[in-house]
Amino acid sequence: MRSATKFNYLIQETWLGIRRGGWMNWAAISTVAVLLFLLGASLQASWQISHFINQFGNQVEISAYLDTGVDAGTLKPVIQRLGDVASVEAIPKEIAWDQLLKDLGQTEGQNALKQLGGNPLVDELHIKAKSSQVVATLAAKLKKIPGVESVQYVAEAVQQLAQLNRGLNWMSLGITSFLTLAAIAVTTTTIRLIALARSRELEIMQLVGATQSWIYLPFLLQGVVFGTVGALLAWLMIVGCQRFLGQILVGQPELLQILLNQGGSGGQAIVLPLILMGFGSSVGILGSLLGIRTASKTAP
Amino acid sequence: MVQTILRNRSQAPTQAGPSYSIQITNVHKTYTNGTTALSDVNLYVKPGDFLFVTGPSGSGKSTLLKLLYGAERPSSGEILVDSRPVHRLQGDRLALLRRRLGIIFQDYKLLPRRTVSENVGFVLQAQGYGRGEIERRLGPALKMVGLQGKADCFPDQLSGGEQQRVSIARAIVGTPPILLADEPTGNLDPDNSRQILGIFKKLNEAGITILITSHDETLIRAANQPVVQVRDGKLYDPRL
Repeated sequence: MRSATKFNYLIQETWLGIRRGGWMNWAAISTVAVLLFLLGASLQASWQISHFINQFGNQVEISAYLDTGVDAGTLKPVIQRLGDVASVEAIPKEIAWDQLLKDLGQTEGQNALKQLGGNPLVDELHIKAKSSQVVATLAAKLKKIPGVESVQYVAEAVQQLAQLNRGLNWMSLGITSFLTLAAIAVTTTTIRLIALARSRELEIMQLVGATQSWIYLPFLLQGVVFGTVGALLAWLMIVGCQRFLGQILVGQPELLQILLNQGGSGGQAIVLPLILMGFGSSVGILGSLLGIRTASKTAP
Repeated sequence: MVQTILRNRSQAPTQAGPSYSIQITNVHKTYTNGTTALSDVNLYVKPGDFLFVTGPSGSGKSTLLKLLYGAERPSSGEILVDSRPVHRLQGDRLALLRRRLGIIFQDYKLLPRRTVSENVGFVLQAQGYGRGEIERRLGPALKMVGLQGKADCFPDQLSGGEQQRVSIARAIVGTPPILLADEPTGNLDPDNSRQILGIFKKLNEAGITILITSHDETLIRAANQPVVQVRDGKLYDPRL
């Protein structure tokens, strides 16, 4: 009975406080929502890139493009004799051209053939290294073989992507820290203004013997509400953006689609809103505590 | 009677002496701006006493009451209210002591957006009472001040005297043993003042210790109760 009374009281007083806050509530909620949106979006991007790096960074395949006129079949035994090579596949330029025409479609392919006046491709070799650790060394060795014009492997691009990801992470950490401070400041001001609007009630409560927790717990709950509603809005915005990007990506290059469709696992779909809720509530509670601290200093 | 209330330093009661509702011993109060509000004040009020504290404006009457309910702290000296050292209490311990006090103000301090019954019930709600208990206590408290028919009115629909009676109901609804009133009739006409005094007398007859600050000479004479006077921060027996 006693706990039911407390629960009713807390709900009632928290709601009353929110009503008194008026538009200031939205200032706090929207600041928290923007903070959490950026936090969530950068987390999501970081997860996607990390997932991509994990998926493709371990690939052991190297493509070697040969000089014009060099036959892939002649270089294949030379490469097979190199250490760290698991297998070699020769792709003659005719097969590569057929594949390209298939990818471009019938009309585009015919047009390309007309414009180029023949097959401009060179023979290539797909070499599989024994492990991902030796890919870079093997690629360097391949480059030195006469007849090999250039060498490409996914890990190279992935390394650059990882660097970009690190840069993005630092940038988002900076922005998130700044916005966290801003959100705490706005929540503190909102709670302080609500406390000011209810100063007479608070004064009477103190004079009639209400305990500190009884008086100020509803304010803490208001902070939690700001954080939770902000998190909900941020999550909805992130989901909306993902869907929007998903629609735009239809018909875009496959690599971009793969990159942006990473990290949508069931686990992360649950973890992200939980992180947003937790972080939002923490910001709300911290802001409320600071607001309460100022308000309670003027207590009788 | 007043001699038993006002004592000098050497006559302060010993630990084994009679219990008092209020004990103020050698209290000095100087504000941070250097103003001395009270100087060497000694006052002892027994349970069930009815005492007026009078004196001109700015003499330290309100400071005396604030010290009793812990809104101010003495610069030195000791204050026991209901045997608890109010000058040392903080936070929840001070809150629990205030539940043993009913406090009435000159400006009523009612919540304008709450009805009479909500204003009175607010005290019990703040102390964590359930709806049933609040309902049970509301009726007798409003009946005591003659406002049972105005339970659903808002403060701005009431006269000054009625508003002060609401604040008395709010002060007594928690059944405190001690009632402190700071100029309770300061804003009221003589008729309403007499009504308020009548309520205080009834409460005192019921055993509540009452301490009222007032500079309303007519009211004090009509009350025919012990009086102490605050002058320049010191307590005096006005008859001396």
